[in-house]
Amino acid sequence: MRAGVILGVALGRHPPVVVALRDGALDWPVGRAVARTATRACVALDLDDAPTAPVAAIRVGGPCPEALRPLVCRPDQAGVATIVRGGHSLTGRPLAPLDTEAVRRFAGSCGLMDFAVTATGSPMLADHELQVAAVIAAEVPGARITLSYEFGHPGLREREAETIRNAALGPEAGRIADEAARELPGVPVYFARSERGLVSAHYFRRYPYACYLGRTASLARGRAALPVRPVVPDEVTAAYGAALGRPEAQVERIVQARGRAELDRELQGVRDEVLTRVVSAGAAPGSARVAETTVNPLSYLPHGLYRIRVMAEGATA
Amino acid sequence: MSLLIGGEELGWLGEGSRLFASGAAESSYNLSRDWAGAVVGAGVTLVAPEELLPGTLCVAISLMGSTTALGEQLPGGEEPARAVRALERRLGERAGAVTALNLAAENALIPFIAAAELGLPMIDGDGSGRVFPLVEQTTYALGGMSPTPLALAGASGELIVMETAPDRVEELLRPVVLSVGGWAVAACYPMTAGDLARVLVPGTVSLLLRAGVPGAPRSVAAPYGVRTLCRGRIQAVEGSTRLGSELALPSSPSSIVLQETEGLRRLVRLEAHNEIVLALADGAAVAMAPDQICLISMTDGMVVDVDKAEPGLKVEVMVLKAAPVWHTERGLALGGLRAFGIPL
Repeated sequence: MRAGVILGVALGRHPPVVVALRDGALDWPVGRAVARTATRACVALDLDDAPTAPVAAIRVGGPCPEALRPLVCRPDQAGVATIVRGGHSLTGRPLAPLDTEAVRRFAGSCGLMDFAVTATGSPMLADHELQVAAVIAAEVPGARITLSYEFGHPGLREREAETIRNAALGPEAGRIADEAARELPGVPVYFARSERGLVSAHYFRRYPYACYLGRTASLARGRAALPVRPVVPDEVTAAYGAALGRPEAQVERIVQARGRAELDRELQGVRDEVLTRVVSAGAAPGSARVAETTVNPLSYLPHGLYRIRVMAEGATA
Repeated sequence: MSLLIGGEELGWLGEGSRLFASGAAESSYNLSRDWAGAVVGAGVTLVAPEELLPGTLCVAISLMGSTTALGEQLPGGEEPARAVRALERRLGERAGAVTALNLAAENALIPFIAAAELGLPMIDGDGSGRVFPLVEQTTYALGGMSPTPLALAGASGELIVMETAPDRVEELLRPVVLSVGGWAVAACYPMTAGDLARVLVPGTVSLLLRAGVPGAPRSVAAPYGVRTLCRGRIQAVEGSTRLGSELALPSSPSSIVLQETEGLRRLVRLEAHNEIVLALADGAAVAMAPDQICLISMTDGMVVDVDKAEPGLKVEVMVLKAAPVWHTERGLALGGLRAFGIPL
């Protein structure tokens, strides 16, 4: 790896603010010629007022009260939603066979390209979401599809809302990533995550929701690292905070395990998945490591159901 | 005096019901709130049991199983009414009022939904004054009432009517709840208004309505007193995968260790079994069931569920005194530490 300049870039309702990190020392402003020789660029931006695309939302599950149906009709969104039969209980039991015909009809007639798919029970078993994705891909060539199990939290409606938001941000994320690549040809670009850490531009295009509050998180990180320099402007602090990050990824699952050996096997599966994901988020394969594992038994259920969250991190490739 | 719970009051009830509710997943609370809001209609009348004819049939409504499962597998919407109707068919008598088993989050809202859907009044009180994990851990049972016959409605249309000796209800219920997806709505403890007046913890619904008004102090929701045990940062969460336990308790035990961030900087260990049942500070027992021990996040003031506790969180540990009946010999046997398998 070249030892050199790491760029921090803050985007928002202002011209881009670029800072440089040389051997840990902060420097700004940065000229374009210097910027184009950087070893990497780390972008901090919030997406809460980014333009959104209309989304076709597919929920897999049973009928429910009107008040609990998918929400795609925010003021600025002309989305559509449907509920199709299928899904699994948290114990992995199929609730109904997946109604692939209903998926096909909806996908073919909705006229949209950005899909959000949320199946009941997918933090436990994602089979139906993967099947829905295959049907959409066959029916709508070029469709952009977000699957909710990638977010993994139990809580269908909240996970569905995140999935829809991710799908809605897809086109704008693509535009931002294209622009960054144009401005900084040859420089690997990373984006700050909402909690902490970075993801690659490639990952950002698919999971922009992971970076929903990337500027907010970077600003907090930058402030913590610059406590003795209170006069630094917020945008510079946020750019600096982003430049300090490293690739991170998280996986969350519900697993059923009878006994320690089964739980260990399930944990290993989740760890393998998060290591793959952090490499996809831009970590050098040899550097990827599990940083944090949380295992909580689910309350009020017998037979060893656990909620597992694993965080992985690594060095930039 | 009876009171009408309309849309605004429902908001207060919802807020009040989660001030000390542990084990309530955010998503299941949100959906119960939205579901209740959609059926509130002209409102639900809140009555004391003494206001009803003494022979009026009252039934207790509660969520059984996991709030995480409810948040994931959504209700069809008919579950509360189906459970009550099934119990009525078994008894050959119409219910005249709905009461709560306890008033923690969903368990305050689901009886409300049943009452609204069936056009029945809701009783101002509950069978706990706090929350216990088992169906028979209620003041109704302490007063000699039987949880059975009990009717259970699941989200995929399942309907189960159960009749058994009171001490076998949990044993039969748990595998059934798991096999219908991890949650169900139960209608249970059928009893007359006259009996209910004798065995309930009175006035707790109107108390939560007051506690849920914006700006009301949290302590309003604790009828028998509340204290802060300590403030600290969670150091470790240890889950057990112990199997073949002799305890008839759903879920596995876990421990939460936190370091006090002020005062004596004690190491505080919380033993949890669905909820926290014992607090040890530097090895000495400082709070225990039947009093309720709660973790309140110091970041957002919300209750931290046992299965969401994680290292680094800053929390306040609060202890709510249980209703006096829980501190009697029979109350301690049913809801004290021994009932959670800790012979202290």
